[in-house]
Amino acid sequence: MEIVNRFSRLASSLNEFRSDPDHAHLVNRIGSIHQRAMSYLEDEFGFLLQEHTNQQPVQEPDSAGKSSSAKAAETGEEGSPLPESQSKPEEEKESPYPGYSEETVTNLSNIASQMIAGGYESECCQVYMIVRRHALDETLIQSGFEKISIDDVQKMAWENLEREIPIMTSIIKECASVHFPKEHKLVHSVFSNYPSLSISLFSNLSRGILIQFLNFAEGVAMSKRSTEKLFKFLDMYETLRGLYPEESESELKTEATTVKGRIGEAAINIFSDLEHSIKNDHGKTPVPGGAVHPLTRYTMNYLKYAFEYKSTLENVFRDHSKIERADSTSRPRFEGDSNQAGGGGDQDNNQSPFAGQLARIMDFLDQNLESKSQLYRDVSLCCIFMMNNGRYILQKIKSSPEIHCVMGDPWCRRKSSDLRNYHKGYQRETWSKLLGCLAQEGVQVHGKVSKTVLKERFKNFNIMFDEIHRTQSQWVVSDEQLQSELRVSIAAVVIPAYRAFLGRFSQYFTPGRQYEKYVKYQAEDIENCVEELFEGNASSIARRR
Amino acid sequence: MDPNHELELEDLELFQRNVSDRFADLLDHPGDGGLLSISWLRKLVDAFLCCEAEFKAVLIMGREPTQLTKPPLDRLMPELLDRAVKALDICNAVSAGVESVRHCQRLAEITVAALENQNPIGDGQVKRARKALGALVASLEEKDHGGSHYKTPERSWSFGRRGATAAVKDRPTATFRSLSMIVGKNWSAAKQIHAMWANLVAPRGAELNGLALPVYIMNVVMVFVMWALVAAVPCQDRVGLPLHIQIPRQFAWAHSLNGLQEKIGEEWKKKEKKGSAGLLEEMQKMEKLSQGLIEFADGFQFPVEEEGKLEEVAAQVKEMAEVCRRMDEGLVPLQQQIRDVFHQAVRSRSEMMELLEHAGKISQPMM
Repeated sequence: MEIVNRFSRLASSLNEFRSDPDHAHLVNRIGSIHQRAMSYLEDEFGFLLQEHTNQQPVQEPDSAGKSSSAKAAETGEEGSPLPESQSKPEEEKESPYPGYSEETVTNLSNIASQMIAGGYESECCQVYMIVRRHALDETLIQSGFEKISIDDVQKMAWENLEREIPIMTSIIKECASVHFPKEHKLVHSVFSNYPSLSISLFSNLSRGILIQFLNFAEGVAMSKRSTEKLFKFLDMYETLRGLYPEESESELKTEATTVKGRIGEAAINIFSDLEHSIKNDHGKTPVPGGAVHPLTRYTMNYLKYAFEYKSTLENVFRDHSKIERADSTSRPRFEGDSNQAGGGGDQDNNQSPFAGQLARIMDFLDQNLESKSQLYRDVSLCCIFMMNNGRYILQKIKSSPEIHCVMGDPWCRRKSSDLRNYHKGYQRETWSKLLGCLAQEGVQVHGKVSKTVLKERFKNFNIMFDEIHRTQSQWVVSDEQLQSELRVSIAAVVIPAYRAFLGRFSQYFTPGRQYEKYVKYQAEDIENCVEELFEGNASSIARRR
Repeated sequence: MDPNHELELEDLELFQRNVSDRFADLLDHPGDGGLLSISWLRKLVDAFLCCEAEFKAVLIMGREPTQLTKPPLDRLMPELLDRAVKALDICNAVSAGVESVRHCQRLAEITVAALENQNPIGDGQVKRARKALGALVASLEEKDHGGSHYKTPERSWSFGRRGATAAVKDRPTATFRSLSMIVGKNWSAAKQIHAMWANLVAPRGAELNGLALPVYIMNVVMVFVMWALVAAVPCQDRVGLPLHIQIPRQFAWAHSLNGLQEKIGEEWKKKEKKGSAGLLEEMQKMEKLSQGLIEFADGFQFPVEEEGKLEEVAAQVKEMAEVCRRMDEGLVPLQQQIRDVFHQAVRSRSEMMELLEHAGKISQPMM
């Protein structure tokens, strides 16, 4: 760009003459030329800046522009075409500048220096701001950016907002990682001798974009809470956390921190709402067959998803937990508060607030399930219900190393031991009376086998066993391992006892009608029946998984 | 009367009186720049922040949260919170508008720099000033952004190269429009004010004794302040701004508000034309001065012989410089104040929502 250099040198030398008051007309003339030169530079500056948006490289031949340009400097007329800097599209991809070649940038820098030296800093900056702002706006729009008022965000259906959030977060991430660094490099290159100017220009450009994202985030943070929103909120939180605009004013960082805090608090509230919805689940309809309750499924699956965001949640809870005002039963605990329900001395004193919240959720779930189990009049069914749900919970926790880690081994061991207790309880409730029928003591009266007693025993056994078989086949134990454990433990107790009893006393029945009347089952029959326990009937099978 | 109740009444009365005093001050002592100047707007926003803080105290301090869920508050509170949301968007729109005013300021500053203290004024300086003034006027003319549909900021400008031989003033000038000027698709400041004003019904009869009155007052203050800001500052779609937002005369505290509303309404009728740059005092001055200076520039021939002419121009330039100075001093703080309003409104809204939620839980019987 020799022409530009020539102009610049001309302009600089002109500057020296400006202050001479005696030669009014000459001074005026010079001033006029200077203005034209600056105006030309301004247009050239703007044109070059706009070049990035041209998709086709514009190539014009070198013309004999030098002499006519010199004349142009004197007369102020636009002369013949000048050699253009070519924008090479393939360079754009590798270029550290947003769509400009090194050459273009150098030229821009020269022009800027000349304009500023000539006292036209304002014009230069104006042009720069306008073109770059438009360029950034276009980039945003092409990436799918849509401006949504805060009012509209409140009114939007979640499914629409849900689609919008990832678009926004990915755009702002792109800005932070790609566009802003390029702008930064550009402005510092173009205004290389004027660092404070570069800083303020870049600051304005980036602020204009960022504040739009922050306003959107505010709108989202304000929107009605519901549990399905948690994960998008956490996405936004992470995006905000990663935003460190270079050289932006501290005011913007404060804004970003503020809205990040609001999103964080909202996320905590959403997560804690889980606790409230568990506590307030007072459904009186028992699940048929004692199967896993929908509340259990929902909670565990939700937690499983939540744990994909474990580190984010830890951060959020650590930074934004606060003591809730009035509701003392749902106070989020601070670090060091080891008064955990069911925890006692096991709990690590340095439990994180998130772990604390999680523990409380599990506690409330346990309590809720316990009260739900009371809806079953049959104590055995109550135990089965607790086993089913406890097992489901434990499996889900063990299947995720992160959740397992947070809940801790002591908790898992306690849960397992609870399960064992319920198992024992079940066995006692259902089978001890039945086994009573098979007790060998009491069959003999005065040293002789009482046929009456025998008949009574077998009759009772048959009735009870039939009842158990009929009822408990409809109960559901969906966990296959638990199901088989139960059957095995039942079989291990009942069948040998029956076999022994049968072996000892069945001979006392006259073969034929009497035998058949009282001995309904052989040992294998018992075995088969036990295998049918906890299958669940049609409607409860449909609910499995 | 029980002492608590007495204290409550005192608080309510104090609140009313403070509101009344603040707006009386705005009406009677508009300050240096006059009504709708930057300094006046700053006072206005300040008054709003104070009223809001007092209102929150009246509403929340020492009260049972369940009071907020009983009629008529069960209807009034959600309405108030909804208006607050609209106010947030208006804050953002006005903030963007102030940004565009700053753009005009910079163009005006170029003009001043070109013409100030030049002895004698030469062709170069005049051309420079004329170019800046051209851009300034173009900016002022297209202030009403958008309206029915949002379009991509089209290239309604370009920096012509050697090909464009048109005279300086015909060359299309770059405009300041950008994405940040738009609040949202189909958003309209005028419509939002309209929506905020609609359904704002004064409490009557027994309602006057309870919390319904301070809630009404706060609503009115909010709508008025937003309305005034929109009238003053260019923002997305101000066409059709409702002018009759009068409060029933029976309310003494509303006296000054009504007075201000009348004055501003008159200004609007007089000065607002399609695409005008807002009633901001400094912008109006700037527009007028620009016209004068453009006339001068267009008729300029070196050298200027008439003394009177020189003095006239010098005076205009001086005035322009003063306007720029005021803008320079006041616009950034104004933007900061508006941002403060934004944040305070968000905070208050979330606090009130929490309170209402909590009150709802208490009054909800456990099943």
